[in-house]
Amino acid sequence: MPLGFAQRIVSRDDLVARFIDSAAGAAARVVHGTRAELATLVAGFSGDGLASDGVARFDREAQRVASRCLSMVPGVPGTVAVPDDPHALADLDLLVCEGVLGVAENGGIWLPASRLGERSALVLARHVVVVLARSSIVADLHAAYAAVDVSAESFGVFLAGPSKTADIEQSLVIGAHGAMGVTVVLLDE
Amino acid sequence: MRVALFAPCFVDHLVPSAAIAALRVLERLGIVVDVPDGAACCGQPVANAGFASAGAAALERFADTFASYDHVVVLSGSCAVHVRGHATGIGDAGIRVAQRTTEFCAFLHDVVGVERVRMLGATLRARVALHIGCHALRGLDLARPSELQLRPSNKVRAVLATVEGLSFAALARPDECCGFGGSFSIGEGAVSARMGRDRLADVQAGGATALVTTDLSCAIHLRGVDRAAGGALPMWHVAEVLAGMAACDALDASGGER
Amino acid sequence: MRDRGEPRPLPVLDATGAVDHAAGAERFVANEARTTWHDASLWFVREKRDRAASTVEDWEALRDAASAIKTHTLSRLDEYLAQFEQRATARGITVHWARDAAEHNEIVLGILSARGARRLVKSKSMLTEECGLNDYLIGRGIDVVDTDLGERIVQLRNEPPSHIVMPAIHLKKEEIGETFHEHLGTPAGDDDPDALTAAARVHLRARFLAADAALTGVNFAIAETGGIVVCTNEGNADLGTALAPVHIASMGIEKLVPRAADLGVFLRLLARSATGQASTVYASHMHAARPGQALHVVLVDNGRSAQLGRADFWGSLKCIRCAACINTCPVYRRSGGYSYGSTVPGPIGSVLTPGFDLQKYASLPFASTLCGSCAAVCPVRVDLDVQLYKWRQLAVDAGYVSPVKGWLMRRLGAVLADPALLQLTVGIAGAILRVVPRPLARRLAGAWGRWRELPEMPAQSFRAWYRANRRGPD
Ligand code: SF4
Repeated sequence: MPLGFAQRIVSRDDLVARFIDSAAGAAARVVHGTRAELATLVAGFSGDGLASDGVARFDREAQRVASRCLSMVPGVPGTVAVPDDPHALADLDLLVCEGVLGVAENGGIWLPASRLGERSALVLARHVVVVLARSSIVADLHAAYAAVDVSAESFGVFLAGPSKTADIEQSLVIGAHGAMGVTVVLLDE
Repeated sequence: MRVALFAPCFVDHLVPSAAIAALRVLERLGIVVDVPDGAACCGQPVANAGFASAGAAALERFADTFASYDHVVVLSGSCAVHVRGHATGIGDAGIRVAQRTTEFCAFLHDVVGVERVRMLGATLRARVALHIGCHALRGLDLARPSELQLRPSNKVRAVLATVEGLSFAALARPDECCGFGGSFSIGEGAVSARMGRDRLADVQAGGATALVTTDLSCAIHLRGVDRAAGGALPMWHVAEVLAGMAACDALDASGGER
Repeated sequence: MRDRGEPRPLPVLDATGAVDHAAGAERFVANEARTTWHDASLWFVREKRDRAASTVEDWEALRDAASAIKTHTLSRLDEYLAQFEQRATARGITVHWARDAAEHNEIVLGILSARGARRLVKSKSMLTEECGLNDYLIGRGIDVVDTDLGERIVQLRNEPPSHIVMPAIHLKKEEIGETFHEHLGTPAGDDDPDALTAAARVHLRARFLAADAALTGVNFAIAETGGIVVCTNEGNADLGTALAPVHIASMGIEKLVPRAADLGVFLRLLARSATGQASTVYASHMHAARPGQALHVVLVDNGRSAQLGRADFWGSLKCIRCAACINTCPVYRRSGGYSYGSTVPGPIGSVLTPGFDLQKYASLPFASTLCGSCAAVCPVRVDLDVQLYKWRQLAVDAGYVSPVKGWLMRRLGAVLADPALLQLTVGIAGAILRVVPRPLARRLAGAWGRWRELPEMPAQSFRAWYRANRRGPD
């Protein structure tokens, strides 16, 4: 069965703008940078405390300088290595990883296991920084599934912003179980 | 073009004024209308309650009565939907009738045309809340339901827009169900009445001075809820507005010639 | 723990043990302020859904595609299930088949026992609710913790979920604050959602870290690849499965899609229809166990193949459990999840549950005005209103409505088929109404008059007027 959702031709700038809108709608913070300045940018994030709203208001840990950082991005130094036991990441402050592809329509970013180092880091880290090349943004999920083989690895996830819940009277709360904040660094490449 | 007008059982006996209005509107539009004896009901009240078999005789009678007409104009969206959906199961007459049965506003919009309706020159100084019965809305495409992501359209509104002096109240939930639902109004009376009160509260919040509907079954229920709470909101069928009979509360009318 | 005088949130059962939806609903609407609040909460979600759907240009075509894919899959479900099993097994996933709830529960217990697992963390799975898994496991010494915030709230209160996506939608934050004060030691009177969620986070984080096994539901299973997809906003499925040495995924057999590419259609629809989000925060694709972990998928029938065999109702298996039909249902919004007495409430619950036990759930198909909003909102185009109508016919045919109602309806059918008899009946009723005082008349009119004023009886029917004014004297 052909799906027949034709891709309308849109400019890259338009795709990026839509991605940024969608990511903001999912409560992710989007910043711009170059690969060369990544290390400085990330060091800057960990200095200001990583999240300030939602559950983070009540979590002192979330507001201190990030000292335990797992980085899967070359050039960005981490302080912890991928452990054998995922439980060892229980106190992880920061995960820095690079997305394979971004989805303009919903702000989702495809992250297969290899990009996370350890699956649990995605949800144990208080904050997740996802580096994403502007050129990797596609329009919608049809394009995303056409571009990635979701079965290539044992695990892969479309991540759209920080963990959230609205289970208490429909109030949106950021930071339910997983990351209290997600920062997307859009690389101009 | 042979046109029949069908006033369903509850319209015939409880709101005859609306049927008189519809007849007059069609006559003024130059349409020769027949009101045949024979069928009193399409069987929907019992079929929707789970007793389709008990309603089958009424539906068959309906099919026999109206099989020879080109258009069967029904003064109830929900009855029209029932006939269109269920008469197909009772042979050739049923299939024919199902295809040719339509609702009053749909007939005016699709067959007569809004420009001819405008020539009726109806006037009504009122800010009206429009209530399209759910079955008519979703089963007859009388208007685009709020769930669907399609271009907005509303045949009933288009017909009523020809009425001078009439404006539309904006409702917070334009197509929320009023809670009638046939036997639901009895079997689930508490929720039904609550839905009616909520619908009326929205109508009032929208600043409407009257309610205009395609479905008098909804109106009988809403009126009962309204009057039980001491309200006096006028409620009219579209035909009563077009016939100029809406100046006084037409649902109160005795049905005599005025 | 509850408002004083607030009835326990259980369905009302009649003398035969059948769910009496109308009675449960009447109890719910008796609290007017709470009904207003409940209705508004759900309507808020419906409006979010509308906004989200409106941003997708091809929304209606997307619904068509989703419906077509599900229809196709269901038409060859056996083949796709076999393919899924084969591909999943090749990836080292252990696939189990459960004919019914009891088999499912035994399989889960068996997996846990084999590993000596005693602490189970669960993410949302309506299937395990359907199977009564929690009680089964708890009764056998397993510590079961629901980790979805809403599910944890109702678990602490010893209540079932009242909604399939928002399990605690019936509760006010003050009530949740009290529950957390009692069970998690939060300060008395604290009802700030951020603070309560923070407390739950700490409480549940410890459970995640200590868990021996994680159980999740499945949103989609991909036949072509042998993988599963689990969608959450909280990240609880990912926390559980990324830490525990065993992952058990329980899924109904209708969750299959043929190809990974089909997910583009379903994931575009799911979150928008469910909560109005463009996407869930996590849409996790699992194609093998983590190193050192075991991954089990339990394929559960539990009445699904019977439903698939019902010509009028197989379409209900297209459902992706987004709950949009529940949120939009004007009756659910004003009767609450517990009035249905079923795991899945609302329109979809009312077409699925009678398939399990028509006698017990015969009132559910009648808990609707047949307004059709459910079918119009459904992302996979389940013709819910049509199926409700058809279940009504079956409930009547099987004799599951009261004999009085049955007699009345059959009489009414005969009267409506005969204009002269109808005229006579109305004439008698009108004559009575004209002489009886209004309050008494309302009482005589039973359930109609209890809630409404009676209509005025006109002097003359339309037909009588027509004969007099258009045909001339007979
Ligand atoms: S029937 Fe449709 S609208 Fe209702 S839960 Fe299932 S998929 Fe959603």
